[in-house]
Amino acid sequence: MSDTPGRDYNFVPAKPEAEVDDELRFHLERRIQQYIDGGMTPDDARRAALQRFGDMKGIRDQCAQLLVEERRAEARRNWLDDLRQDLRFAVRSAVHAPLFSLLVIGTLALGIGANAAVFGVVKSVLLNALPYRDAGKLIRINAPFHNGGGRGGLSAGTISDIRERQKSFVSTGAFEQPDDAVYDGGQPQVIKLMWAEPALFRTLGVSPILGGGFRDEDANHDTAAVAMVSYGAWQRLFAGDSKVIGRVIRLNGIPRIVVGVLPRDFVAPMDTADFYFPMAMAPFMRNPITVRGSHHFGMVGRLRPGVSTAAAQRELTDIGAELEQLYAKDNLGIGLAGVPLRDDMVGDIRTPLLILLASAALVLLITCANLAGALLSRTISRRKEFAVRIALGAGRGRVVRQLLTESVLLAVIGGGAGLLLAAVGLRLARGLALGSLPHYADLTLDPGVVAVTFAIALATGIAFGAGPAFAVGRSDPQGTLREQTRGSSESRRTRRARGMLVAGQLALCVSLLAAAGLLGRSLWAMMTAPVGFNPANVLTFTVQLPNPQWSRPEMQLQYYDQVTDGIRTLPGVANVAIASELPMMVHNSNGLFIRSAPWAASEPVPFILTSIVSDDFFRTLAVPLLQGRTFSTTDVMDAPPVMVINEAMAKRYWPNGHAVGAQVHIGPPNPKAPWITVVGVVGSMRNDPTALRPEPMMFLSTRQEVYGSNFMVRTSGDPLALAASVRRVVGAIDPTLPMFNVSALQSVIDQRFATRRLPVVLMTAFGALALVLASVGVYAMFANMAAAREREFGVRVALGGTRASIAALVLRQGGVWMVVGLALGAVGVAAAARLLRTQLYGVPPFDPLAIGAAVLVLLVCAGVALLVPVRRASRVDPITVLR
Amino acid sequence: MFDKESGLLQGTVELLVLKTLTWGPMHGYGIASWIESATDDVLSVEEGSLYPALYRMARKGWIKPEWGVSDNNRRAKFYRLTAEGRRQYREQSSGWRRFTAAVDQAISTRTAPAWARQS
Repeated sequence: MSDTPGRDYNFVPAKPEAEVDDELRFHLERRIQQYIDGGMTPDDARRAALQRFGDMKGIRDQCAQLLVEERRAEARRNWLDDLRQDLRFAVRSAVHAPLFSLLVIGTLALGIGANAAVFGVVKSVLLNALPYRDAGKLIRINAPFHNGGGRGGLSAGTISDIRERQKSFVSTGAFEQPDDAVYDGGQPQVIKLMWAEPALFRTLGVSPILGGGFRDEDANHDTAAVAMVSYGAWQRLFAGDSKVIGRVIRLNGIPRIVVGVLPRDFVAPMDTADFYFPMAMAPFMRNPITVRGSHHFGMVGRLRPGVSTAAAQRELTDIGAELEQLYAKDNLGIGLAGVPLRDDMVGDIRTPLLILLASAALVLLITCANLAGALLSRTISRRKEFAVRIALGAGRGRVVRQLLTESVLLAVIGGGAGLLLAAVGLRLARGLALGSLPHYADLTLDPGVVAVTFAIALATGIAFGAGPAFAVGRSDPQGTLREQTRGSSESRRTRRARGMLVAGQLALCVSLLAAAGLLGRSLWAMMTAPVGFNPANVLTFTVQLPNPQWSRPEMQLQYYDQVTDGIRTLPGVANVAIASELPMMVHNSNGLFIRSAPWAASEPVPFILTSIVSDDFFRTLAVPLLQGRTFSTTDVMDAPPVMVINEAMAKRYWPNGHAVGAQVHIGPPNPKAPWITVVGVVGSMRNDPTALRPEPMMFLSTRQEVYGSNFMVRTSGDPLALAASVRRVVGAIDPTLPMFNVSALQSVIDQRFATRRLPVVLMTAFGALALVLASVGVYAMFANMAAAREREFGVRVALGGTRASIAALVLRQGGVWMVVGLALGAVGVAAAARLLRTQLYGVPPFDPLAIGAAVLVLLVCAGVALLVPVRRASRVDPITVLR
Repeated sequence: MFDKESGLLQGTVELLVLKTLTWGPMHGYGIASWIESATDDVLSVEEGSLYPALYRMARKGWIKPEWGVSDNNRRAKFYRLTAEGRRQYREQSSGWRRFTAAVDQAISTRTAPAWARQS
């Protein structure tokens, strides 16, 4: 018996039937031969052999069947064997070229990580369903304010008018903005409380997970007072006790019965609250001044089946126009508008998010270009290896499969690392984004994101493994081998492909850098524009006075005086002030009516930011007094009402400088109210971080309009060091009143800018990422170009070429692509500037500084990246290269 | 000869094939001939039924088919014992011996059971 060959990939096995026939025929022939040798005639021998063999056809079929099964099982075994072998080989070749592998894995991890993280944010904010039944049918109804823009609240009268007129909604629900309140559960705690009509929950399609919830009659004052609790507060305050339903709790000193626990994922259309109280509109309708003058209600409507959002919006606009005519005094310039609830809740973050998503996609594109370049050059450098393997009998299919295995392995590792990065990134984003994302967004890596990420990783791996793999499939092993290494450099085609890849990377990168630069400049402008007051060394905190015991203004004033006097005696305290809101947090606006200059019927009433402050407010914050006086102890309740305005307001409404002494009413306009006299003009303070020039603002005295609770203490040193002694003072006056929101004013102001910081930080991160990737791309291009022509350079040097001429040669060859990249980049920069226009404050879209800096940074990095290979090329030693 | 109807157990055929191949690789004809002569032609009907048994054993990985050249210079399929086949042979042959010894002891005994004994 001869040796039999081992497994051979080129060996094509015979058909199962043929193989069985072959074997059985051999058996019969031998048996016939034996009979003939024993003296039988051939015919007899044949008959005897067949008879001895038995059922020829049955046996043959049975054997063929068994052979087919065996072949199938073997194919499966081989496939797994090959996979194991491919994987082992892939790992070995990845370890063998660690720089290349790390480059690919790192690049992919960054690209995919950035995408998964940003997509996670975008998905949770823009794509995830709101936690309401059929949320697409919900419309937020608000007042658009024709002059100033924005989304204003509605008055009770407007709400009732809408309800009388509208035909678009099956139900509507009104609510108020959440406010701080005190929950007395043994130890008083500050919680968020929100008043909402029972109809709001019905409109949203939310029912409590425990308890019956609100009934409409609960809103009437004569029935027992009830409350619903949020899931979070239920866990926090009642340890998730299911017996909480029916329990009596005290909120702001008033007992209420808990009638419901809201679902875990419930969020209110505005901010979320811990407790919800049933609200009725009737009492608000009874007050003739506030019924139309106080615009502070939110409203949500559910579209009637078959009514489109656009139709509802048209109807609301019409009703708004009608109300402006009917109640011009209160509603002129306000109007009505409907916004899909999701858009309203997403708010202003939508554009920044989409910009980030686009940036992440650009980073992924750069990643792919980089990978394509890296794999391209690796395949070229391994061409000989593949040629040898094919010449030794490896099937092309096997080689292609091997290459695919390698790139998919790298892609999967890169994708895994990317997911890790994304998880870390999302954690960072959660810290950064606090307050800048809608409150319903939970930033988690959800399975969808993970799946998409891996799909991207796999697709990248296959796409960039397949190209080189098919190139190998096509290549001619003999030619490749004969070429030796002598004289063979990159083909024109691969050089151009690589050049295009690098040019594309540079273009994308410069666009991202310019965008980051513009946003950064805008943020810088926002943060460095003077705020108009000195936030350093100021301690702030809040004390909430619960209503029943402190309902009389004199008592509140007395309390404030007690606290401020107590704090003023502490060492290191320079000044103490109280205000309705901290600076830069004012959100309350009032209509302005000037006594000597009434608005024409066609003129909308201007709404001006209003804050109520104590005597020492301006001194405490170091706001300069420009004209007249600030508030003093003589401005008491019975004295004539006074007002202080800021410079911006004085310039706008009294351009001739006669603001002091002017008399005004502020909305809601009550003809019986006394006129308020402007007694002073102070320096302007900025309020909205994006408004670089301060807005008009007016101030009333806490002594005349008692509304306080935010304290500011100017100290000589670290404000937080004073917190403990201040707490003692506050505790000594009334231990049942909790003191909260203790922090330095500076950090409150910083937090206000944080919202604007998130897009800038992320954009800058993307820009840096793109820069690193593009630099690597540039380096790889030049390094490969130089390496491929090393021999040629050696010849040139031997023939008398100077090092400078060789460096120039390499630079010229690669420089072309850098110029192409920058030219394409100009288009990208223009697109980025257009896209960002609405996001820039205090910076023109084509800010030369930002764009110039982006180009410069890119050029410097690319320059450094190409320096190394160019230097190496110009130092080629002709003797070693040519030998 | 190795048919199910012949009363021979499937395992017996397999054991005989394994035994044959302990001498070295052999083709189907050689295996059949050797078993017939070794059993003094007692098992010499329908030798074709050996082949399905061979394919089944190959499927179980006890033997491995390889194409080779026979002593009369013809291409023939040879079966070789695998490591697993060798192990099977050792187990099955000792099992067979214990089995036949037990059956033999039973049928050659002269002591009648208690219920058959006349007191």
